[in-house]
Amino acid sequence: MGYKEIFDSLGLRQWCGDVATKKEILSLDQLLAKAKGEQVPDRAWWDIPFPSLDNLHEACNTIPRTRDMVKGIENGFLYIKDYLKIVLDPLTQPLSWILDGSLYVLVNTPWWILIPLFLLLVQYISKSIKLSLFVLTVFVFLAFIDHYSFAIQTLSVIFVCTMLSVIFGIPIGILMSKSDRVQASAIPILDMLQTLPTFVYLIPLIFLFSVTESKLYGIAIILYAIVPVIRLTDLGIRLVDKDVLEAANAFGMKPSQKLVRVEIPLALPNIMAGINQTIMMALAMVVIASLVSAPGLGVLVLRGIRNLELGVGLVSGFCIVLIAVLLDRVSKAALKQINTSSQ
Amino acid sequence: MKKIFLSAVSVFAGMIMMTSAARADCGEITIGEMNWASGTILTSVAKFLLENGYGCKVKKIPTSTVPSVASVAETGKPDVLIELWVNSTPKYLELEKAGKVKTVSNVFADGGQEGWWVPQYLADKHPELATIEGVLANAKVVGARFHNCPVGWGCRVANDNLKVAFDLKGNGIEVFDHGSGETLATSIATAYTDKKAWFGYYWGPTAVLGKYPMQKVSLGKVDGTIHSCNQKQDCATPGKSDFPSAPVLNTVTVDLVNREPEAVEFLSRFTVPNGVLSSVLAWHEENSASPDEAATYFLKNHKDVWSKWLSEDAKKKLSGIL
Repeated sequence: MGYKEIFDSLGLRQWCGDVATKKEILSLDQLLAKAKGEQVPDRAWWDIPFPSLDNLHEACNTIPRTRDMVKGIENGFLYIKDYLKIVLDPLTQPLSWILDGSLYVLVNTPWWILIPLFLLLVQYISKSIKLSLFVLTVFVFLAFIDHYSFAIQTLSVIFVCTMLSVIFGIPIGILMSKSDRVQASAIPILDMLQTLPTFVYLIPLIFLFSVTESKLYGIAIILYAIVPVIRLTDLGIRLVDKDVLEAANAFGMKPSQKLVRVEIPLALPNIMAGINQTIMMALAMVVIASLVSAPGLGVLVLRGIRNLELGVGLVSGFCIVLIAVLLDRVSKAALKQINTSSQ
Repeated sequence: MKKIFLSAVSVFAGMIMMTSAARADCGEITIGEMNWASGTILTSVAKFLLENGYGCKVKKIPTSTVPSVASVAETGKPDVLIELWVNSTPKYLELEKAGKVKTVSNVFADGGQEGWWVPQYLADKHPELATIEGVLANAKVVGARFHNCPVGWGCRVANDNLKVAFDLKGNGIEVFDHGSGETLATSIATAYTDKKAWFGYYWGPTAVLGKYPMQKVSLGKVDGTIHSCNQKQDCATPGKSDFPSAPVLNTVTVDLVNREPEAVEFLSRFTVPNGVLSSVLAWHEENSASPDEAATYFLKNHKDVWSKWLSEDAKKKLSGIL
């Protein structure tokens, strides 16, 4: 008893075509069995395999094998690729310009201008001399061991990607907090973005955009890093006290006024925590982004791994950790400033 | 009662001795299975022949070039590496010098082919692209871009010297450094689907070159001394030399040489003509077959190749297939 008989009894043999004419593809086990002259024993009915595509194909030529189905999906993608390209390519082109522009500016600004500028910025947002001194130490250390330019490239990529994540993430988060339906449909997508292995969507993206475009790694980083800021914006606004909203209604505020003057300020601590996480995730993608030609410390890490130069890997890994600590401290300090000023 | 117990023990002991006698000729061997098409196919072939011809117990360990060499260096496992591209792991040569591993054969009869390539359709339209001079004179035709190896690969160093020697930049060809082998391969596939220009480094026999026919760009004569300088990061005078054929090896640990001399002898004859391998890779691609099925295809259709690897005894055991 097998699927062959089932197809025969349904009168589908004509449709299926003659099984004997099919091209023979053997596995090693089958080859061995054939060589020993073993006949395939009649299967008992309880041994019947699951009716998967491959097993059905065995009995009926017309049914495609799983590999044919996979190939079909590939061809389908290649077919719609050109149309997708017309839409997506110009839409994402600014990302390349921003990434390249920021890289050009930051790399070509002399260190004796850039480092003080960074320090002023840190001092301005954190109002903490201690933190500024820490940032100075990190930069001096990175420059001293000649990792300064790699670190600047990494920082440039992270700045751009974080900025864009915030610009797109906060409005999406607000939309999600306003509508349960949007939230319900967005959450699975956010889950997917955080779990899907990067290369699974990067390789199809290379078919859409040229591999030489910097937007490729920009997209990879943003898709991964945008998730926390969306989630925490949504959460923050949903957590705003209902009594405060009622008071705002009593003042006759319009929804837009309510959002800008009440909800966002009250949700700001949560949003800032989301931004902090977004920065960290962008940094976490540094090495993976280097697999699609992102410049920076990730390149050094890859060199270290591939050549078994353990020292190179360890030092550049340590530099990434230093930058992570730096970004974390600075964004937390900014969060603290906001918390104290909003109280 | 005691008698029954004793006889049971003796039967049991006899069984153990019998199984150990059956295994005495060959024990367990671990093979590092490289994670690309030809690597997995050849590993499957070796596993099949060692198991059915020599009675070994073979375990495949999925790995890739650098991790496998690192593992051999630190732990002495896996016992066998099939299709090791030495150029991308200079570390291997140190291991060989230190006496930890032994090269037993070249897996490709003609060696691996490294070099700079353009797609066949482009070369057909512009025959002058067959040499580097033609490419340099027609930078626009090849897309004004050279697709370079990822950082950390052996070829990256050679290319970085060659690009100076041939003055790619001065001839209007921008060098793009890929981040990984995946993007390098995908860039070829993308160029092919749109029949666009492509010019860059690749190597064969590989699934990519099997699927997308490419024309090798001649870089002139192969000069051993110039090439060995080009392979050094701090080569003072990068010169013009084509890539010599690359060593692609089957290697075993010295431990295995002592433990399983017969299996090592088999591996020392394990060499596939490049043309045969290319045809197997092409069939593999055409039928979207699994590595296992491609190995079967090879065993069925190229008996003349693999029967030469076997000892008389193994030949007898595999006579059903031969």
